[in-house]
Amino acid sequence: MNSKERVLLALRQQPQQQRPFTLTLSLYGARLTGCPLTEYYRQPYRYVEGQEAVMALCAPDILFAPFALSLEAEAFGSELIFLPNNPPNVKKPAFRSADEFIEQQAPDIDNHPSLCYFRESTRLLSGKYDGSTPICTLLTAPVDLPAIILGIDQWLETLLFAPDKAAHIMEKTTSHFAAMANALLADGASFIGVPTMFTNPRILYPHLIKEIILPALARSFSMVEGPIVFHHGGNPMASGLSEYASLPHVAGFALDHRDSLTEARAHLGPERLILGNLNGITLARVKSETIMKKVHEILEDRKEDPCFIFATANADIPFATPPELLQAIALAIRNFNTTI
Amino acid sequence: MDIVSTREELLRHILAGNRQQAMVLLEDWAGRFHWRETIRHLLEPTLDEIGKLWMAEEISLAAGYMAGKIAEDVLLKAAQAEEVVPETLGPVVLGNVEDDYHSLGRKLVAIFLKTSGWKVIDLGNDVPAETFVDVAVKHQAKIIGVSAMMLTTAENILTIRKEIDRRGLTGKIKLAVGGAIFRIRPELVAELGGDGTASSAVDTPRLMAELSGLENT
Repeated sequence: MNSKERVLLALRQQPQQQRPFTLTLSLYGARLTGCPLTEYYRQPYRYVEGQEAVMALCAPDILFAPFALSLEAEAFGSELIFLPNNPPNVKKPAFRSADEFIEQQAPDIDNHPSLCYFRESTRLLSGKYDGSTPICTLLTAPVDLPAIILGIDQWLETLLFAPDKAAHIMEKTTSHFAAMANALLADGASFIGVPTMFTNPRILYPHLIKEIILPALARSFSMVEGPIVFHHGGNPMASGLSEYASLPHVAGFALDHRDSLTEARAHLGPERLILGNLNGITLARVKSETIMKKVHEILEDRKEDPCFIFATANADIPFATPPELLQAIALAIRNFNTTI
Repeated sequence: MDIVSTREELLRHILAGNRQQAMVLLEDWAGRFHWRETIRHLLEPTLDEIGKLWMAEEISLAAGYMAGKIAEDVLLKAAQAEEVVPETLGPVVLGNVEDDYHSLGRKLVAIFLKTSGWKVIDLGNDVPAETFVDVAVKHQAKIIGVSAMMLTTAENILTIRKEIDRRGLTGKIKLAVGGAIFRIRPELVAELGGDGTASSAVDTPRLMAELSGLENT
């Protein structure tokens, strides 16, 4: 049985002999190949070399296309900074005001170099693994994209005090999101992972989430011609899952490490896929015994749940994480006896 | 309405995102008791409450932002009424550490400090260590407040610590550190040479008072 078959079984709530798993090792490929990040996040073939090294290291059941959402902001005109051992970050947002954003055209998804990098990386990964390993391509949620194009403060300002302008901006980002998602699916992405922050009551007022954000997100997702994994975006979300469960085309929910998987299951019912929830960003600094204990706790917790994929939560696993630890995690998952 | 009930109502408006109604309430009080008294007895205690709720993770980023906007509105109204909040404390030199461009927290800190009567010299984003110390020395500031969102940029704070120490200013200029990463990894405050941190932007006046020894006076 290959990775794709394992993942599909989880999606269809069917028994698997081996728990499917993924680790967020988009960045880590560069460590394994020694590729400078200025090349890794610009040259699709260098990125794919890194993912081949990830596959050789621990053979996850899902591979990631570049997890570098700032490149989308770059396509809109934001300035980036390349930091050692981390994905590029937004240095200077593209626009100072909502009005400037509204006047600007969205980037051409077929020609802008930053967007072509995502697409070509996805095409190459998909071609390389030829349907045996699902490819997850990550895109910024259309309700979050303005935060990296305008800056978080300007986007909050617009949402709180200029809802008409916020709606106008989200029309633009919705079109962009749907076009990119569909292009990436056509390029070979198996599904689109969407980290989402502004749906979370830790970020925004609940009434704005309900009245503005979720309807915009529902419109965006309804235009996507393939499966979506709704990602926690850095905040716990189990308690809000009932609100997100009805979003169209959402095949699964990737949970924060602070979320209770039992609570998530209770909100979603037995048939929705959940992914989670080992904290990936602390793997370099927590004792390996503690990590392995947590891995076993998660596996034990979901032992009888067929609709579950073991995954790391949060952003990329850091550069400094020992490769032996990642191999040990992969081995522990493979050796764990499920009862499903 | 008594002061306690009014504070509760102001808090409710902030938590519900009602900037306009919050300002109506504040302007009503200022009409009767002047802006300075309104800030001292109504706004500041309410902001303290916001800080506690933030620390307990019971309010959203948007509510914190709304509190900042209301504080900013109040400062503007006070200035228009020629009741400028006297800058009796400080100065404090603020900025985002070199390579850090996440300005939201720093801007809120500046607003809340000004509301509490601190003079703030805001250097903006991506500030080199030498600049922080140069400006602090020039303005005789006893506190540098530095913000960083991520671990990678927070590590640059150590350069400021070293620059303070290299110039023999250890203990004379205190280093206040803040940003999302310090909430996740509080041990970094000491590791990066910080003299203290605040749980939220609203909590920074308390931190600055503590670092400048005002809490014991």
